[in-house]
Amino acid sequence: MGASLPSKEANLFKLIVKSYESKQYKKGLKAADAILKKFPDHGETLSMKGLTLNCMDRKSEAYDLVRLGLKNDLKSHVCWHVYGLLYRSDREYREAIKCYRNALRIDPDNIEILRDLSLLQAQMRDLTGFVETRQQLLSLKPNHRMNWIGFAVAHHLNSNCSKAVEILEAYEGTLEDDYPPDNERCEHGEMLLYKISLLEECSSLERALEELHKKESKIVDKLSLKEQEVSLLVKLGRLEEGAELYKALLSINPDNYRYCEGLQRCVGLYSENGLSSSDIDQLDALYKSLGQQYTWSSAVKRIPLDFLQGDKFREAADNYIRPLLKKGVPSLFSDLSPLYDHPGKADILEKLILELENSLRISGGYPGRSEKEPPSTLMWTLFLLAQHYDRRGQYDVALSKIDEAIEHTPTVIDLYSVKSRILKHAGDLAAAATLADEARCMDLADRYINSECVKRMLQADQVVLAEKTALLFTKDGDQHNNLHDMQCMWYELASGESYFRQGDLGRALKKFLAVEKHYADITEDQFDFHSYCLRKMTLRAYVEMLKFQDRLHSHAYFRKAAAGAIRCYIKLFDSPPKSTAEEDDEMSKLPSSQRKKMKQKQKKAEARAKKEAEVRNEESSASGVSKLGKRHVKPVDPDPNGEKLLQVEDPLLEATKYLKLLQKHSPDSLETHLLSFEVNMRKKKILLALQAVKQLLRLDAESADSHRCLVRFFHKVGTMTAPVTDTEKLIWSVLEAERPLISQLREKSLTEANMIFFEKHEDSLMHRAAVAEMLSVLEPNKKLEAVKLIEDSTNNPAPINGALGPVNEWKLKDCIAVHKLLVAVLNDPDAALRWKLRCAQYFPCSTYFEGKCSSAASNSVHAQIAKNPENGGASHSDGGEIADFVESNGKMEAFKDLNILT
Amino acid sequence: MVCVRKATMDDLLAMQACNLLCLPENYQMKYYFYHILSWPHLLYVAEDYNGRIVGYVLAKMEEESNECHGHITSLAVLRTHRKLGLATKLMKAAQTAMEQVFGAEYVSLHVRKSNRAAFNLYTETLGYKIHDVEAKYYADGEDAYDMRKQLKGKQSHHHGHHHHHHGGGCCSADARPVEAQPESKSEAKAST
Repeated sequence: MGASLPSKEANLFKLIVKSYESKQYKKGLKAADAILKKFPDHGETLSMKGLTLNCMDRKSEAYDLVRLGLKNDLKSHVCWHVYGLLYRSDREYREAIKCYRNALRIDPDNIEILRDLSLLQAQMRDLTGFVETRQQLLSLKPNHRMNWIGFAVAHHLNSNCSKAVEILEAYEGTLEDDYPPDNERCEHGEMLLYKISLLEECSSLERALEELHKKESKIVDKLSLKEQEVSLLVKLGRLEEGAELYKALLSINPDNYRYCEGLQRCVGLYSENGLSSSDIDQLDALYKSLGQQYTWSSAVKRIPLDFLQGDKFREAADNYIRPLLKKGVPSLFSDLSPLYDHPGKADILEKLILELENSLRISGGYPGRSEKEPPSTLMWTLFLLAQHYDRRGQYDVALSKIDEAIEHTPTVIDLYSVKSRILKHAGDLAAAATLADEARCMDLADRYINSECVKRMLQADQVVLAEKTALLFTKDGDQHNNLHDMQCMWYELASGESYFRQGDLGRALKKFLAVEKHYADITEDQFDFHSYCLRKMTLRAYVEMLKFQDRLHSHAYFRKAAAGAIRCYIKLFDSPPKSTAEEDDEMSKLPSSQRKKMKQKQKKAEARAKKEAEVRNEESSASGVSKLGKRHVKPVDPDPNGEKLLQVEDPLLEATKYLKLLQKHSPDSLETHLLSFEVNMRKKKILLALQAVKQLLRLDAESADSHRCLVRFFHKVGTMTAPVTDTEKLIWSVLEAERPLISQLREKSLTEANMIFFEKHEDSLMHRAAVAEMLSVLEPNKKLEAVKLIEDSTNNPAPINGALGPVNEWKLKDCIAVHKLLVAVLNDPDAALRWKLRCAQYFPCSTYFEGKCSSAASNSVHAQIAKNPENGGASHSDGGEIADFVESNGKMEAFKDLNILT
Repeated sequence: MVCVRKATMDDLLAMQACNLLCLPENYQMKYYFYHILSWPHLLYVAEDYNGRIVGYVLAKMEEESNECHGHITSLAVLRTHRKLGLATKLMKAAQTAMEQVFGAEYVSLHVRKSNRAAFNLYTETLGYKIHDVEAKYYADGEDAYDMRKQLKGKQSHHHGHHHHHHGGGCCSADARPVEAQPESKSEAKAST
């Protein structure tokens, strides 16, 4: 390095490198300038200066200098290495790898570059390359523990477990017998556990168990040791020993459900699809004995409710619920709620809880007991019942129960939270937000109820108010709030969805893309751990982390964000924002003096905004450097409202980017292919749209949406002109070959297929709506018939095994969707009005349908709760109107209690 | 009701979400990675019957000091899931692992002076004592109690021959990955 320089300059060069490593960039820069004064063309110095500037946020200069340095000294591995580091800092890993490879061509055994290359290969999952580089590192420095471990991990990642084991054993061969010393026991134990897990992974189960017993004394993490052992025993079919070990694990932690499940498997009492009645009796006995042993365990009390049936279930549930109501456990309903999917159990529970309620009212105690319960027991019983009825869709009963509970004890915050949730389900989002805010004000120091309130406000499209409320816990110095920095994704998603509903695509996109960015950052987060974990020896966790990263983008938050962004781009394509030309056009209609004024005003505002952003940027980067050279403060966002995002040239191209990620990571989600269909139909990519249809049919041919896409696709294809070009002819021939393979369409016209689908799903509202919509697409003159199909639907009682109450099948959100269909697609305002009146009967709390109990109806109870002007606008929550949003949020200042914590 | 178990990689996003719902002190994902990739034994979660993460404990070993000791970075239980003893169960699990795996001599944590519920949990249920007060520890200017609990002491490692005690022991000083340490201060809070 710096070899071509005289000794004084060579020393200066060393100083640059040292300063870079110790983050003393100013010092490094000075040294570089001193060399360049004498040798202005010195390539390596130019490169290092560039790299230093890169750390000082002077990116474009950095690239210029590094490229110039390289040009001046193409044969220097330093210049190539630096170029690679520069790309690496910008996450351009593929380019960085190329640079490192060039550097290694010049200096093949350079350990530092090899190590840097191996990190990138791990990051990019270039696994064969990773194995090669790790092998090279090991052969260059076999006395480093890390190189052995790295080579083994590389083989493991490259799906060669047995090779990995060999390497670890060869490494162990280099160790003394009394290894490890005290201060390396943890690391060594981790390595041994890793090796055993590798043996398990390559099905050498006997060897794994043998090794585990042999090395037991050297493994510090005894819990993992036992968990590993039991897993091996079960796989080897040594179930009795397995059962014993599971019992031992349960005595360490009786609240771990996985141990319970493992024990059940070992004693042959585990099945996904139900057990015989004698099995159930045995299992019941097992849990009774466990319950006596582990009186503290909640698991052994709860699990039997899953497998017991009928009277035994009733008895067990009764015994389970009573003490929890007495204690006032707020999560009781959520704990019981999975049982509502078991046929018949919801009815038993309802009857049971009503009996408790009745007895508490009459005698003040539980049925069959003479002692009195404290008054709170009745309140918690009402609380449980309210949630029960909410779950069953009987919102009126749910509300009366929760109101009674509130009257009983007005100070319990949980009651208001639950009432808020019921109102939300019942369709009154504004009242729900008001209730949640009431709950929030009862304990301003509790972030959980603050978060819950923010969520309700966003659901009610009160975005500005929501942000103000969230700010009470997220203020961060001068920064607006830290929700983005702290990766608060639920908030960004809920806020994006609200903006989308309100038609503010810029802000919506901004939020969705923010979430997407978090996922990119999380992917990036793994980088530093490639070397860290090899040193720390947390190898099992490291490999888990890599696997986790590989499936990161299938996570629900990412899916929602990507789908949200794609919807925005589709909307943007369908109705593009006004271009400047159009705006000019509109302006030209104004008298010229006014036009001039407006333009001047605009220009001034732009200039001011620009200047402000610059000043703030300078300030923040200045303070950023001074702070011990730590992570520099982010520059001020030049596009806080996402206006620039709207100016994208080709929205569908942007949509396709995110669509590809969904197709790769969420191929089994219906939504992925619905979006793919919408995007590709607009792009006129016939074959890709066909793919989407086929995927939809594969996943769920009976879904109303799949049917819609199928019909729309072949209808569209049928209206296209005959093919002319070769490509068109090719597409045509594919379609001709594919259509007969789709069973729904075999030897049928689309109209016939539509009617067959109707007959199959006559009783379902959403299916009828889809058929009606397709009828109007296929035969536009039959709109009246289509409307009749919808209006003839009946809202039947849901067939839950002898439901005790009148539970109807129709869901509020479905009815809203149908209403929109009547308005926007079938264009029948009279029918829409009839539909609205009908649904207002079913959903009296719904603001959308202006039900008589909703806050949209002026004389309702909830209207008085939701009397704050800020809470308006929710009645349009799904309508996409921007109306009164700005106005309603403008009155924020007066809102109560907002500044108490600040 | 709720399953208490060691956290896995797949729990981290849910732990972060739980933290953001409950506590004012938050961390980026990288800090969670840093914990689980350094001390996978010290992270526990509470998972409810619907598979939702309703509580967690995030803990670490202090590697810089002479005495090997553990530290509770963050503890949270959703408000909806209190009265189940989850905070106690999570804390005990982490403490046990600190002692057994790393031979920790004591465990420390910070708690807001105003957080009575958490303070009571630490002192009365878990046996922590106030070691010090750190003035203006939190971003909003509130003081913190620096609390400590003595663990039973080091387990001697059975290894056939005598071992002397090692200061720092298993928590061998090791460089942490670049920037994995956030600047924000940690805190523990429990809703009991």
